[in-house]
Amino acid sequence: MTSPALPARAPARRFQNLYLRTWQALWVLPLPAWLLFFFAVPLGLLVAISFWSVVNYRLTPDATLSAWRYVLGLDFLWASFWRSYGLSLASAVAISLLAFPASYAMAFVAAPRQRLVLLGLAIAPFFTSYLVRIYSWQVFLAEGGVISSIIQAFGGKGESLLNTYFALFLGHATLALPVVLILQTIALANVDRTGISAAANLGARPGAILFRVILPAARPGLALGLLFAFLLSYAEFVSAAYLGGGAFQTLPILVTDLVRAGQQWPRAAVVSLLMIASLLATALATVLWAYREKG
Amino acid sequence: MMTNPHLKMQGLAKSYGTFVAVEDFSLDIAEGEFIAIMGPSGCGKTTTLRMLAGLETANRGEITLAGTRIDQLPVWERKTPLVWQSLALFPFMTVRENVEFGLKMHGVSRAERRRRADDWLERLGISDYADRNVARLSGGQRQRVALARSLVLEPKVLLLDEPLSALDAHMAIKMQGELKKLQRELGITFVYVTHSHSEAFSLADRVVIMNAGRVEQIGSPQDIFLRPRSKFVAQFVGGISLLEGKISGKKDDEWFLETRDGKVRLGHGCGLAEGETADLAEGETADLAVRADRISVTVGSGWGENEIACTLVSEEFAGAVVNLHLETASGRSLVAQLQQRDLEQLDASIGARVYASWHPDDGFLLESARTSGSEPRERAA
Repeated sequence: MTSPALPARAPARRFQNLYLRTWQALWVLPLPAWLLFFFAVPLGLLVAISFWSVVNYRLTPDATLSAWRYVLGLDFLWASFWRSYGLSLASAVAISLLAFPASYAMAFVAAPRQRLVLLGLAIAPFFTSYLVRIYSWQVFLAEGGVISSIIQAFGGKGESLLNTYFALFLGHATLALPVVLILQTIALANVDRTGISAAANLGARPGAILFRVILPAARPGLALGLLFAFLLSYAEFVSAAYLGGGAFQTLPILVTDLVRAGQQWPRAAVVSLLMIASLLATALATVLWAYREKG
Repeated sequence: MMTNPHLKMQGLAKSYGTFVAVEDFSLDIAEGEFIAIMGPSGCGKTTTLRMLAGLETANRGEITLAGTRIDQLPVWERKTPLVWQSLALFPFMTVRENVEFGLKMHGVSRAERRRRADDWLERLGISDYADRNVARLSGGQRQRVALARSLVLEPKVLLLDEPLSALDAHMAIKMQGELKKLQRELGITFVYVTHSHSEAFSLADRVVIMNAGRVEQIGSPQDIFLRPRSKFVAQFVGGISLLEGKISGKKDDEWFLETRDGKVRLGHGCGLAEGETADLAEGETADLAVRADRISVTVGSGWGENEIACTLVSEEFAGAVVNLHLETASGRSLVAQLQQRDLEQLDASIGARVYASWHPDDGFLLESARTSGSEPRERAA
């Protein structure tokens, strides 16, 4: 009975292999498609446009370096670049530091169920539009707004807080703080608790445990939080325009200025490519540092 | 008996809400003694160790180490390093940094801690890996790093929580030998928590058997193996057959136990020789224990004085010896351990009628119902 049944199983096995491969292919296929449509094609287009020219306010396919020459020759380009980079880095560090105590509390003080509720509250702001949240800040920060009225009530001058770095930072924090909270909390919650007990057992006090064990163990997640805060702040346009006003010409502001001034898409493309290059370099450096291993 | 105990635990108790983890733990340990605490999972052995380390705060009780009371000290001031079941090495540090960690925390200078760490790496044969990441070491090497990390602090007592359970069997046996050697050389006290009989019996000077938060028995490995005091210990140690019955009267200066499977004589093993018969009371319920290797199994009857008719239920091959599981007419299970050679001469198949017999002197009575009432208790989660 058994031996005649054997040959019949070979096609069945072949079918099973085919079935499993099809199943895997279904999951793998979207990956190159997404990369193509959301990364390779837009980037290629951006590179191509940077060599085009603008004739009579119309974008015309070309192979000229004039946009590159113009942008790299702008005397305020590098000033804008470093301003953007510096401001976003400052925001990212400040946001990470602000988020850390809350993340620590959620990871080490709150019970797992409480942690879920708190994280839910942290991402609740995402339910409203970012634009709406930035406009609300304007109401608070403008002259005669909520904050200046309070300061005036106490006899202060109560000047507008708009167009200051503080206002810009509030915008960055509104965007990035929830993301940083989540990344930090997950990173801290995954730190091996036995390792923490082991450190205490070897004589480490709570402060030493934080700096010598928890922070190094959570480093990849904390670095990722810092990186995301930086990426979001760096490419941020809305609060740079509405809260920072004209006071800070960041690269995203420069891009819109270039487009507005005579449909200079090629020049805007060059600035965008500079931004992408610096972002990629920063991201790569951060990830390498975060996942660096000893020995 | 111990005039000046080195490590003294007195009446330790710990509960979490209504769950009692440790009920009343007292133990005096001499300097340089190797103590194993053993019991089924959830018996409170790890909680006891964690109270020693200061990772749990006892609800009641005192701990003194070398004359100093330590139970009030925070964990980082205890100086009772623990070797963890999971090792708990720091993956973001090299081997040497792991070993230096405790010294750094105690404010030892850079040069001094480097020297002391390197000494221990050398001693445990892992100097070659000093600058490696701990994640790249084998199980045995990681085990040595964990030991070095604790021992470099030159503690008075080393705590070990199932330290060998992560290793494969071969490596675990090798490390067992090394641990024992190390402990003898250093002369420091080891408190070793394990659920493994072989580890506890081969390593320890004294073994503490715990069950459901209470100490069942403290004694040398031989003591516990040969003379379990309670039903729980007898069952936990294994290889012991228990017969329940009523003590019956003196006839020609002899005592008997009336079991449901017949009357058996009690011998010297029950303390009868030393004139302790006063302890025995006519009609009292008692448990008679007989070690599996002292029970003979025969096909015909009349081979021994104490003999019970049984059915052969199953055979369990265990290398040089074979365990025969027998069932008496009243449904009681007995275990007999036979040499392979003896089994070949026993002409009985599964289900056959056989006779289990033993010399009266090989049986011993467990302590009265006070302790023997404790079956391995199921714990509330």
